[in-house]
Amino acid sequence: MSRVKRFFRTYTPFTRAGMQEMVAYRANFLCFLIGEIMASFIMYFVWKAVFDSSGSETFMGFTMEDMVVYLFITFLAGYLTYSDGAFTVGEEIIDGSIAMRMIRPCSFEMCFLFQELGNRIISVSMIFVPIVAGVEIYRYVQAGEVRFQPIYFLLFLLSLVFAYMISFYFNVCYGFMAFFFKNLWGTTLIKETVVNFLSGAIVPLAFLPAGLANVLNFLPFASLSYTPVMIYMGMYSYSEIAWRMGLQIFWLLVMYGLSKLIWRSAVRHLSVQGG
Amino acid sequence: MEAMIYAENLRKEFKKIIKEPGLKGAAKALFKPNKEIVTAVDDISFEVPAGEILGFIGPNGAGKSTVIKMLTGILTPTSGFCRINGKIPQEDRKNYVREIGVVFGQRTQLWWDLALRETYSVLKEIYQVPEEQFKKRMTFLNEVLELDSFITSPVRTLSLGQRMRADIAAALLHSPKVLFLDEPTIGLDVVVKENIRSAIRKINEEEGTTVILTTHDLADIELLCERIVMIDKGRKVFDGGLSELRHNFGDVRTLRFELVNGPDFKLLDYRRRFKLTDDDVSAERDGSSVTVRFDTAKVSVEEMISYTLSTVHVKDLNIKDVEIEEIIKKLYRREVSL
Repeated sequence: MSRVKRFFRTYTPFTRAGMQEMVAYRANFLCFLIGEIMASFIMYFVWKAVFDSSGSETFMGFTMEDMVVYLFITFLAGYLTYSDGAFTVGEEIIDGSIAMRMIRPCSFEMCFLFQELGNRIISVSMIFVPIVAGVEIYRYVQAGEVRFQPIYFLLFLLSLVFAYMISFYFNVCYGFMAFFFKNLWGTTLIKETVVNFLSGAIVPLAFLPAGLANVLNFLPFASLSYTPVMIYMGMYSYSEIAWRMGLQIFWLLVMYGLSKLIWRSAVRHLSVQGG
Repeated sequence: MEAMIYAENLRKEFKKIIKEPGLKGAAKALFKPNKEIVTAVDDISFEVPAGEILGFIGPNGAGKSTVIKMLTGILTPTSGFCRINGKIPQEDRKNYVREIGVVFGQRTQLWWDLALRETYSVLKEIYQVPEEQFKKRMTFLNEVLELDSFITSPVRTLSLGQRMRADIAAALLHSPKVLFLDEPTIGLDVVVKENIRSAIRKINEEEGTTVILTTHDLADIELLCERIVMIDKGRKVFDGGLSELRHNFGDVRTLRFELVNGPDFKLLDYRRRFKLTDDDVSAERDGSSVTVRFDTAKVSVEEMISYTLSTVHVKDLNIKDVEIEEIIKKLYRREVSL
């Protein structure tokens, strides 16, 4: 018990600092948010054109209403589970300030995790309710009935937590690569695009050829946003939800183990540059 | 009892990719990097007893910072090991760093975007400093480092001198047994330097904190350190007290004569008179005065004065103490054989 208490006492200040940091750069956050929401609307119009020109009510099993929910909830999930710890680790390795973290008696990734949680708490509180409410109002207007299902919503939240943790450890692994590459800018661009595609953030995995979709469904990337979004939309049965969440936990453990492994080898390769 | 800091045969090699100049070289390095192993620290051993302030000096690129980074557990030595406070930094980093404080003059551990005060409250939790002790500690640090006037300002708005004081306070908050200071006075003005030196002295005297200090400002060394370790090109070239350094590497003295008619180097030819080389004696004109630096192993102070007095009209005479700086300059230039 006291160990748990000590753990939280050590790391909660990071959350507090992360929140304060977020507030200090609120204008930056707002600009970012507006840009992202505009991107979602562009996707909306693209899909609207696809649906309008297809001439039928449904496209690959999705109605336009499903598509709108998919787009905005994917945006939400993507945003909530996005972890830029990798970039921070990478930057700090490159400019050598990683040294200042190593002189503190804390676990590396826990500092990042709790600091990022602080960032997230502020941004979540600003966008979560408006987006979910907006999507539900849209659904109500379209269907003429309340489609919101509390159980799926709660399972969605749980799945989001797993998704965030997978994303976090995946990015920690990736960030530690800076120990070997010394620069992450180019690879980050590739990574973001590949992950966006593989996780279904650009095109729903259900739209892809069956063989490819099956493979992608099993990869960790689907766990990042596709799984929680499908749960939210009520596309999965309970047994399928159980199996998907099991898969999420599996990938979480894999990423966690991998990050530990990479860290152990990376620390021996560390050459703090400059100063 | 074992020394507080014990380093044995520390060695650190880095792999360096050699790029040939130009675009062709860059392309070549991309596909077939030409790697070279650079030895930054080569077989360094030393120890520091508890409560001592050790000055760690050497020219730029000598490997000082690399040694400090190995001692603080940031880098892993290629071979050799160090044990500080009975612990090997690389083995149990989290527990080890609990009892040390580190300041890198060129970096900061303060939270850049937050008010300075917030950094301290974060550190308080990380190091689990009890509330009571934290308050006492802050009062003490405020007193020696004068943080009061900027403790509510965001760190990014602090001046370099303020930031350095704040960083030193951050390193001392948890009352560490060992304090590592890597160039703590870099880029600071005389007043702040003095302030920081007296803080270091006070902490060392009152709490018996062992301090390792690297610096390029030899005044830091003369005012703070009982002992110095000098390294050059990764190797240890001197380890001993300041008086020993003076004794071993020649007593350089400086005499300043103010002359009635101004210096006339045709008359005052120290080199020819004492048959010395440029390394052993130098005479510089400074208005109507002449400043002579010379090695007392070659010519005595008495001889020097009597020659000058008998050659020109002297209005005033000033004898400066041995300048460590002169010895170290010579050492850096490798003029002293070891």
